[in-house]
Amino acid sequence: MRIFHKTSFNFIKHRKIAYVISMVLLLSGIVSLAFRGLNYGIDFRGGSEVVIRFDKNVEVGSVRAVLKEAGVSGTLKQYGIDRSFLLSTVFSGQTNELKALVSNAFNARFPDNRHEIVRIDSVGPSIASDLKWSALKALLGALAAILLYVGIRFELKFAAAGVVAIFHDVLTVLGLFSILGGLFAFMPLEMDQSIIAAFLTVAGYSITDTVVVYDRIRERIRGRKPSEYEAIFNESMNQTLSRTIITSGTTLISVLILFIFAGPAIRGFAFAVFTGILIGTYSSIFVAAPIVYDWLKATKSSVRLRGGSVS
Amino acid sequence: MKNKPFNLFLIVLVTVVSLWSLWPTWRDYSLSKQMDSFASGEDSLKFSVSHREEIENARKKSLKLGLDLRGGMHLVMEVDQIDLFEQKAWNKDARFHAIMESVRKQASNSNAQVIDLLSAEFGKQNIRLSRYFYDIRNSDREIIGKLQKESEDALARAREIIRNRIDQYGVAEPVITTQGSRRIIIELAGISDENRVRNLLKGTAKLEFKLLREPEVMLRVLDKLNSSLAAQSNVPVAAADTAAVRIPAGVPPPAPVAASKSAGPLYDVLTIMQNGNVYVPAESREFVVKLFQRSDIKTLIPQDSELLLAAKPDQLQDGRNYYSVFLLRKTAELTGGVITEAKASFSAEGAQPEVLMEMNSEGTAKWARITGANIGKRVAIVLDGAVYSAPVVQSKIPNGNSVINGIESVEEAKDLEIVLKAGALPAPVRIIEERTVGPSLGADYIRAGMLSLLWGFLAVSVFMLFYYRTAGIAADMALVLNILVVLSVLAGFNASLSLPGIAGIVLTMGMAVDANVLIYERIREELADGKSIVSAVAAGYDKAFSSILDSHVTTLASAYLLYTFGIGPIQGFAVTLMIGTAASLFTAIVVTKEVFNFMLSKNMLSEKSFG
Repeated sequence: MRIFHKTSFNFIKHRKIAYVISMVLLLSGIVSLAFRGLNYGIDFRGGSEVVIRFDKNVEVGSVRAVLKEAGVSGTLKQYGIDRSFLLSTVFSGQTNELKALVSNAFNARFPDNRHEIVRIDSVGPSIASDLKWSALKALLGALAAILLYVGIRFELKFAAAGVVAIFHDVLTVLGLFSILGGLFAFMPLEMDQSIIAAFLTVAGYSITDTVVVYDRIRERIRGRKPSEYEAIFNESMNQTLSRTIITSGTTLISVLILFIFAGPAIRGFAFAVFTGILIGTYSSIFVAAPIVYDWLKATKSSVRLRGGSVS
Repeated sequence: MKNKPFNLFLIVLVTVVSLWSLWPTWRDYSLSKQMDSFASGEDSLKFSVSHREEIENARKKSLKLGLDLRGGMHLVMEVDQIDLFEQKAWNKDARFHAIMESVRKQASNSNAQVIDLLSAEFGKQNIRLSRYFYDIRNSDREIIGKLQKESEDALARAREIIRNRIDQYGVAEPVITTQGSRRIIIELAGISDENRVRNLLKGTAKLEFKLLREPEVMLRVLDKLNSSLAAQSNVPVAAADTAAVRIPAGVPPPAPVAASKSAGPLYDVLTIMQNGNVYVPAESREFVVKLFQRSDIKTLIPQDSELLLAAKPDQLQDGRNYYSVFLLRKTAELTGGVITEAKASFSAEGAQPEVLMEMNSEGTAKWARITGANIGKRVAIVLDGAVYSAPVVQSKIPNGNSVINGIESVEEAKDLEIVLKAGALPAPVRIIEERTVGPSLGADYIRAGMLSLLWGFLAVSVFMLFYYRTAGIAADMALVLNILVVLSVLAGFNASLSLPGIAGIVLTMGMAVDANVLIYERIREELADGKSIVSAVAAGYDKAFSSILDSHVTTLASAYLLYTFGIGPIQGFAVTLMIGTAASLFTAIVVTKEVFNFMLSKNMLSEKSFG
């Protein structure tokens, strides 16, 4: 079976449209980030989260009322699907007391509906700021490492365009988190450590797709005149289109499986990786290679590429 | 082709090593299945006794499940370095306390090293560290070095003591590590009573024997405090202080002798008995504790004394719980360092739990002298700033025995025994991060993880078969080996599998076949160019290799950074992603190529085999 067999899209000619789409995506994300901001999870903001599961169905409202009565401050949300609730509250090193307070209140008010505190996460403010810094360092480190590696393997223009594409992907996903954050009960889209893991995965994966396109361009561009570049870029992208889409496709399948089956703790991560890979695939065709093309055209330089297979 | 025997050998070796490394996991699983299958508990007990060695061996080498899957606690505790430095300082004055207070405030919302904050603050105030620390002749740098050494030692000691406590409590395979200059990370699986563990870990276990001041002195001090507070509350600015007092409305104190005294902010919450005992009702305890810690209040108490509350409440005639208030000499007569043995027990009169303690020879001699010199007076036994008991010394105690009573439950007595035996922490520790997963949620996570693995594998492998036909078989074989390698590396290196780890495996499955997709698409192209199947396969592997290598290196690099900068759960994900990506370089390239070589030699591969 094959899809996208022998295509001949003129990607380079229509690249301006893609630039506009990307700008709109990025700008709406940035605007939302500026005005709506992000929902930080306790990893980055500090605080305590308690997941409580009841034996029988119970209304969110009544659970909330009981907690309020007991003097527990914080917000309560439905968690996942099965009679579970997530209580977020301020950090305290005394989870004993929090747990006792919550348990006693529920035992008194719902005597015939047993509950269980299945998870407590508590992150102090100093840890939270540590985690924030590490996340930032890891992201910047990954971008630098990729810039360096692709720079060595191809050349600087290619590497820089690849990193721009990664920025584009991560920023777009971040924007989506800001826009969609808190809209869906089954998927709160909070920024936590797992989302940073998703970003790094997306960064690594985005460059994978880009490299496939670059690789083909490198293979064909050797010894050709700059006037032929447009055709070479277009042909290379068309020739690799099928594999770009299939490789992303298999990974998208497994991420989708994670989204569906792996439970609420993984859902935000799966969403970030899924959208990240989708956008990463788009950007490797419509952002990375066209930027290299425009750059080459603007500087009127011919390419001197390193490495590649000898054929 | 000249490498063919070597490649085949490598594949067989990897497969065998993987299976061998996973064998104990399988044994462990089937043995516990077998044990569950017995109808009666007796049979399963008999089975477990007769197969004990095998079961233990299998369990030791089997793939460990992470805390989130088994249920357990992940704790990060921080040693209070400021407290430690305060302990090391001498001739502390108000200025010193002010500086430390400011350092404490800065440390709570910054990541900087406490020692740097400390020296910066002293520098700002233009005070040499040697005024308070060590020798007057030391330079600031020398003192900083010494304090740093001190805090490193304290961290190491705290870790050892915490390990001792956990070992005594009895938790299987605790993982206790230190991070940076002041953090201890503790991972405990399968805890049945988290509260007890938390209490066990966080107490400093600083045991002190302190002499009580005479009741009249305490009453005078309280009088002074009360009138000072009353004066303050007349000033409108301080009104907020009294508003915070939760006065038990309408409950008259049981036997007030202080009725003649005009009530004040303090006397509103204190009950003074005829015999000079002072009580605080349970609901006002927090207020009083905070009050006693206020620096302006501290200056009103004689320099050599301190006010402390009882650890446990007493029930008075009116049926309500009250905490006793004690005025003690600040300097301890004896500290917990002399305790050599502690034993939870019951008191002679009845069912009251207590802890008996024995002292070393130095402690015994001191204890004999103290008790001998203070017959008829009261000596308080203070643990972590709370008074457990304050018995009247009846006679000289020559044998170094002492006892802590006023303990609520047997469990608490046992925990006290543990912490006393393990020794006191060099400085207080605080829990700054905690992640606890209950066993039932762990079981849910396992189910979710298994479902994702199964469906992920099915979806990807069926897709490959569907899209690439015969060639898909080779990719699927490589995929199976890839998963085997990941699991076996985890088992072999004693790493544990967590839910993020499983997510990493599922994601790896989707990425591992990417290499095959790149190769197959290339082969398709070569075939379309009219090459023969043999040369198309060879060219496909050759020319796709460069992209595969690049993509693997970038994925590995970002996974490695994630591993270095992430903590706990995220590291599990990074580890499986790294192993899976590295393994797929081998499985997706070498394994599939050998499969094709075999198929080519048997004429099983044709131009149609790549879909």
